[in-house]
Amino acid sequence: MPEKLSFDKVELDYELPSLIRHVTQELITKNACASLDFNPIHVDPVWAKEVNLFGVGKTIAHGMMTMTFLGQLITDWCYADGGKLKSMDVKLIWPVFPDDTITCKGKVVAKHPRDKGQSFVDLEISAENQDGQNVAVGKAEVILP
Amino acid sequence: MMQTSKDARALIEKYLKTEKQKSFRYDFFVDESKYEKWEDVKIGQEGMAERSFEVKMEDILAYLDGTLDNNPLFRDEEFAKKTPWGGLVAPPLLLVPIIFWCTGTGSGSWIRTPGAINPGQKIEFYEPIRVGDTITIKAEAYDKYVKRGKKYLTYLSEFRNQRGQLVAKWWGTLILPTSRSDEKHRLI
Repeated sequence: MPEKLSFDKVELDYELPSLIRHVTQELITKNACASLDFNPIHVDPVWAKEVNLFGVGKTIAHGMMTMTFLGQLITDWCYADGGKLKSMDVKLIWPVFPDDTITCKGKVVAKHPRDKGQSFVDLEISAENQDGQNVAVGKAEVILP
Repeated sequence: MMQTSKDARALIEKYLKTEKQKSFRYDFFVDESKYEKWEDVKIGQEGMAERSFEVKMEDILAYLDGTLDNNPLFRDEEFAKKTPWGGLVAPPLLLVPIIFWCTGTGSGSWIRTPGAINPGQKIEFYEPIRVGDTITIKAEAYDKYVKRGKKYLTYLSEFRNQRGQLVAKWWGTLILPTSRSDEKHRLI
């Protein structure tokens, strides 16, 4: 059994276990159904080609799927121990295309001691593709027990 | 009028499983002319989303499957009972299907604009969402601006549960295209 996560024990510069997700058109369309976001930009390769989307004519994955992967990075890390996401502020800076592989990373960069149950940490979070290009960068605040 | 292509529809229909998915108007081209436009949005205007979202286990499972999330806290009641949460909760980003479900072709419908781009989002999370909750959304036109020639629109959406508790605040921003959906895609 790994030691239970707590605000007191977590150290600055701690890096969360990374999370890797392979994106395909099949997954994007499945995510469209799951999220009820059926924008043709995500689900319609025929249209993407016709309108020459991003000058490359390909669909892109939902930015909210990337943000959800970043959310999972955090929920996998701390939710079973009673951690809780307080906020996320993420910039999506590069498109995610079908057949990309996305790696999500997070690091503890600040600790905010508060009354019991309210203490939280700041995480620097990012997601990069298989070429090492960041696709998303941002910050999350996470309450830790 | 544009339509989602036959190939795209075939793949979509393979994954329509839940009651909400099956009744959802998934062709975003169809009502395009009714969606709010960047030019028409008046900052400060407020409105309730057209309908509420009654959270069912199948909605949560669909979101987990569509985002490759295997965390037992969200799926396994026995596991969840032994955590400080005391039972199953929804993953925080279940807000995504909630906002698309609740938003129709009226206030906030610009989020369905074909070709709109997501430049980043800010969300604050409060009360967790659980099965059986009914979530409603009040949205306020928060900001619109032009930056490097692109048109950005931000709404602040407040999510509340059936007890009136605040569940989340989401500053949702999109870049809206300047092209029609039957033209070459343009953001400037």
